[in-house]
Amino acid sequence: MKRRLGLAVLLMLSAALRCRSASPPGKPVLIGCRSPEKETFTCWWEPGFNGGLPTRHRLFYEKEGSEEVHECPDYWSAGKNSCFFGKEQTSIWVEYSLTVVAFNALGNTSSDLFKIDDVMKIVKPYTPENVTVLVNDTANTPYLCVSWNHPPKVDTKSGWTTIKYELRVQKEDNKPEIFHPNKKNSFKVYNVDPGATYTVDMRCQLDQSSWSEWSTASVVKIPNYFQNEKPFWILVSIFSVIPLLATICIVVLKRKFVKQWLLPPVPGPKIRGVDVQLLKSGRAEDVINALIGNQNFPPAAAWMDQTEEYLLVSDSNDWLLTDPYISQKKKSLVIPAGVQLEIQCRTSAPAQSDCENAEVGKDGKVEPDHLAQTKESVLNVAAPSVSSGSKEAASGNAAGPTGYVGIQQHKGTQGAGPNAAQWDYSWVKEVNGETIFILKNEDAAAGWTVPGWEENTAADYSRVKEVNGDDVVLLQKHDSADSSCKKKEDRSAEWTNQKAKSRHGSDCGKGACLQIAGNGYVDSVPRFYVE
Amino acid sequence: MTAHIRPVCAVWVGMVCLVFCSRLSGMKAASICGNAQAECHFLSLANLFDRVIQHSARMHGISNDLHSEFELYFLPSKNQVSRVGRNCHTSNILTPNGKENAQRIEREELTEVIMKLLAAWRDPLWHFHQSVARNHRFNGYGSNKSLEMSDMAHELRKGVQKVVEKMQTLGVISNSVGGLASPEALLAADGSGWRFMKDSDLLYCFRRDSNKIQNYLKILKCRIVPEHGC
Repeated sequence: MKRRLGLAVLLMLSAALRCRSASPPGKPVLIGCRSPEKETFTCWWEPGFNGGLPTRHRLFYEKEGSEEVHECPDYWSAGKNSCFFGKEQTSIWVEYSLTVVAFNALGNTSSDLFKIDDVMKIVKPYTPENVTVLVNDTANTPYLCVSWNHPPKVDTKSGWTTIKYELRVQKEDNKPEIFHPNKKNSFKVYNVDPGATYTVDMRCQLDQSSWSEWSTASVVKIPNYFQNEKPFWILVSIFSVIPLLATICIVVLKRKFVKQWLLPPVPGPKIRGVDVQLLKSGRAEDVINALIGNQNFPPAAAWMDQTEEYLLVSDSNDWLLTDPYISQKKKSLVIPAGVQLEIQCRTSAPAQSDCENAEVGKDGKVEPDHLAQTKESVLNVAAPSVSSGSKEAASGNAAGPTGYVGIQQHKGTQGAGPNAAQWDYSWVKEVNGETIFILKNEDAAAGWTVPGWEENTAADYSRVKEVNGDDVVLLQKHDSADSSCKKKEDRSAEWTNQKAKSRHGSDCGKGACLQIAGNGYVDSVPRFYVE
Repeated sequence: MTAHIRPVCAVWVGMVCLVFCSRLSGMKAASICGNAQAECHFLSLANLFDRVIQHSARMHGISNDLHSEFELYFLPSKNQVSRVGRNCHTSNILTPNGKENAQRIEREELTEVIMKLLAAWRDPLWHFHQSVARNHRFNGYGSNKSLEMSDMAHELRKGVQKVVEKMQTLGVISNSVGGLASPEALLAADGSGWRFMKDSDLLYCFRRDSNKIQNYLKILKCRIVPEHGC
């Protein structure tokens, strides 16, 4: 009994529970509608809670301009919870009002009104079909050739819809590029880089409608052409570098030659007949000969007219007498300044009063004249300045070193040449007309001393040793302080070395040998010579 | 010599002008093709169609812009109730609402529909522009657009008339189209129904009708000269 009651209660409770769970269906919601080709469209809804009971949904619509309510013609073509409107039911430029109603055993629930202003607004085509991308690599300029078909069921031929395509090309991870092809089925993309990977996809649009989804992307890789050409370029670069290096080596090693070839040196000036090397390294004599040798100097005949015979004055009559030749001559001398002059005078006859006196005139001219009784017949007549000096000396004035005369002292030696004679210099004491008075040495020594002349003049003046011939006067280097022959000879030898070659060397005896031009005093440097 | 140059130049210039003017006037009357080739005539018809279609596309674009702007500024909240009362003044013109319908009807009928639509919108558009300019309701952009829209509708109508004439000369359509009483007479009975339309409804209706015109022109072209870009 109690069991039956318990069971009944249980059954009633379960029944009651079941009754309370059932309810009218929940409110469905219309999600949206879409027309893929502007000829049909589909709408979808979302059902609500079914209330625990089997629920059925129905769609009702109204068109603009008519109050008639229509029901969805096709619930199955487009899947569950959808309504497909075919071509007959679809009207463009017409407003639709849609409602979905859910039915179950307990009741029904309507969704909110869903209005479609214009089917044109819900047009969204499918993606383009068969999008294929090919890489064309003719003539080393690769490009992509993209081809496609129109989306399914779209009528593009009747002019009902105008389809527009959009192509998207993305290089690796860069920003994608958008193209709008004009053609219906193909498009070429030219700005592609070899070796890069590209992703291509497309979408389309009908008459300014919404764009379709992007098609499935095609990925292509463009072959790298430079890799094929790499070995070629490597070879080319190697073959061009080798000659370049060789050229550089040649230039560096032979840079002198190259420099000479590029910048030839400017030739220096050249004198005919003169050797540059000789001038650089040769001796002075050679240089002078080289320079002068080619030239023809005018002969020095002019001087010849002016020069006169040398006069040798000696204080030994014997010596004078040995040579009668000269006494015949009577010439005048032109004495240049500063030159000592030794005048040799001879007389033809010993008996005659000796030699000619050499008188130093005012103008320097010395005229041989008869000597007076004086035995000092060797005179060294000085230059015109000397003459004045000698005159002054004669007048007792202290003259400079130029006022002395060199006297050859022949102490009784006959015929002895002036070689053995001692030369001595004495002051001219007095020039009296035709007579030149010479001071004795002792006088000179006692009278006065000319400061510094002993050491100075000994080397500066040269003594005439001998007169040979008409115009040759042999000089001897005089050293009053030193009487040794050897030293004299040395000195003269030394002196000779300083000279150029003498023109009349054959007449030279021992000692110095020099040509002078007509005066007894000779400088150490010959100024000219007389033929 | 110089005294003669001036009158000679003037005479020469005058002659040149005469020649040009005669040429221009001649060009108005004569077609490019001349009388001979049929292909050339059809090609020129296709060109005319292209121009007209382009024009209508532009007109539809402007109307779309204006309508969007109007909705943005003046109707921020979508009031679905008010739409129930929407009624375009061209609703009485029977227009094909689908592709099959448009392909089924006769060319002449399709052409007539186009002409009717264009004729029906000439006055309302002008009126609309006047009210916009007078009341300064839109900004400068809107005022310009309304004037442009009105002008374009006017020009499109003239262009379509030219196309119709061309088709009639070619024998593509019968001469009954032009022979009808002018569309204005047909609409005269409807009169001024459009005057009471709201601006929003006017813009909405014209946007739809301009789309219809564009589509019908495309269909007509592809029916008559299909080989030239359909």
